[in-house]
Amino acid sequence: QHAIQRCSQWRCYASASSAGLSQDKITERVMTVIKLFEKISAEKLTIESHFMKELGLDSLDHVELLMAIEDEFGFEIPDQDAEKLNKPSDIIKYLCEKMEVDYK
Amino acid sequence: LMSSAGGTLIRQAVKEAKPVFSATSEDARRRVLNLYRAWFRQLPYIIREYDVPLTLPMCRRKLRENFEKYRQVNDIRVIDLLVAKGQMELVETAHMWKQKTHVMDYFKQTVTPKPTDFLGKFFDGKEP
Repeated sequence: QHAIQRCSQWRCYASASSAGLSQDKITERVMTVIKLFEKISAEKLTIESHFMKELGLDSLDHVELLMAIEDEFGFEIPDQDAEKLNKPSDIIKYLCEKMEVDYK
Repeated sequence: LMSSAGGTLIRQAVKEAKPVFSATSEDARRRVLNLYRAWFRQLPYIIREYDVPLTLPMCRRKLRENFEKYRQVNDIRVIDLLVAKGQMELVETAHMWKQKTHVMDYFKQTVTPKPTDFLGKFFDGKEP
């Protein structure tokens, strides 16, 4: 009888849950980055506030903001996706999809 | 600019004008934003490598100022050429082909500004 040996080493690619990522953590990080952006006043900021219409950012400010988010999360956001991210909730949803975290 | 009324001939000329790089204004906008991104990312390295007496906020403001200078431009071919020149500047700066004084040129005004008030113009000997 051969004992089936269990594999003692598992090759594990870091999954989102193992890295401790959840939608709440992502939301917190995104909102921190946005609040640190000096062109945005923290009082008017909500998750649904539109960057250009409500917070008064122009397109170059938008680019700077997305670059700050790219630096925070460590990966590049391509142009065609970047154009659509106009509210913090869009950014959170996009990041959840990219990092395979469940979005509710 | 080219959509002025009574310019059917002009409109035709626009339709036939060969694009420089971008075919649509969307394309041109993307190029502009990518140039801005590239410069923005390069700024900390420029400050460090050229050892210029500048801070990062100063450089960012100057970068934004140089982009705002051409905010009103709508002609796609002009935008393409401006982006091309900006790209050339970036390549020269990033490869250290320039020197410290070239980087400082963005900040210092080497041209004495022309006087605008009456007394200034008078002392300069110019007619009002």
